[in-house]
Amino acid sequence: MRAPPKPPPAASAWSRYRRELGFLILFVLILGTTFTLISWNPVNDRVIEPFTGAIARAGGATLNLLGQQTTMSGTIIRNDRFAVNIRNGCNGVEAMLIYFAAVLAFPASWRSRLLGVVLGFVAIQLVNLVRVVALFLTGVYFPRLFDSSHTVIWQTIVILSGVLLWILWANRFAELHPGDPAAASDAPSA
Amino acid sequence: MPGPTNSGARTPSWTGRLVRSLLLWILPAVVVWLLITPFYNRFLSVAGEQLARLTEFPGVTRLYIQETHQVLVTRSDMSGKQAFVYKFRLTDLHFNLILTVALFLAVPAVEKRRRFENLGWALLVSVCFHILVLFFYVKFVYSTQLGAWSNEHYGAFAQNLWGFGKHLLDLPIKLALPFILWAGFYFQDFQHHVRRT
Repeated sequence: MRAPPKPPPAASAWSRYRRELGFLILFVLILGTTFTLISWNPVNDRVIEPFTGAIARAGGATLNLLGQQTTMSGTIIRNDRFAVNIRNGCNGVEAMLIYFAAVLAFPASWRSRLLGVVLGFVAIQLVNLVRVVALFLTGVYFPRLFDSSHTVIWQTIVILSGVLLWILWANRFAELHPGDPAAASDAPSA
Repeated sequence: MPGPTNSGARTPSWTGRLVRSLLLWILPAVVVWLLITPFYNRFLSVAGEQLARLTEFPGVTRLYIQETHQVLVTRSDMSGKQAFVYKFRLTDLHFNLILTVALFLAVPAVEKRRRFENLGWALLVSVCFHILVLFFYVKFVYSTQLGAWSNEHYGAFAQNLWGFGKHLLDLPIKLALPFILWAGFYFQDFQHHVRRT
């Protein structure tokens, strides 16, 4: 009488959750590294501050098109009714870093990742420009709503935009990397 | 036996349904978050205060809620006006709950029980994270925002630790947490449906 066959060994937690753990570890590493880099004073002073100044100029120019008669000084936009200083957290950089980390950590070809990064930079900065303009106008016409608009509403919108953009990119543009196991499983059988 | 009919209507893809549901769930998530914020701020101030006092001998930190959204940081080892150390918007620490709730409830083709169970775990992690951020914020205030007192009581390493830690937790990690939690539970579902769209 033969012994019954042994059941296959249960998959370890790592093998069962390998994909999401791999994605998340890479995501957090990339995000932590890039954020540490931009927090470093030389990078902040030579890259982030000028970048934020450019955002202020773009925001001020847009507001002037809307008749707000603003002037810009560094990262500050002001007119005779309101002034706002664009600081880290409001320049779209953190949202971009989160999005970039998600794109780079996702298993896809380097070409599609580059496309995702470029697409994300443009799209998130457009959303952020709308945020800057909307917040300035909120400060002028509805100053009591400025605090909650500044963090809760517009931070949520910008991060939500990043998430939606990543979903769009992964769905439409992320080509499978040749070494991706999913590429082998999707290949037609002979 | 009638054959299958083709009405010409396209079945929305999984990701299409995810995006649509996400946008629909945002508003209810905002409403629920607004309703619980006053109570959650009180809970956070108590929890954050207890965590801060665990690292103090004797415990001197007291956190008070003011005007629903602000938290006052005070120290009992300082007297008079000096006891009031700092004030900031506590509500700004936990608005990421809106996106967390919307993301977890928006996942299509997942039974309701599993969605709410996963959301429960995500909310538990989020609550622990908010208490940790508040703790780092209080330490950041003590170590860097009190001028000569900070320099007298905290060395350069401690000031950098609390300052950078608060900055890291309060900005990129706080903003990314809903996505991190969602990917932790649904990355395989997402990847499976994306590859087959």
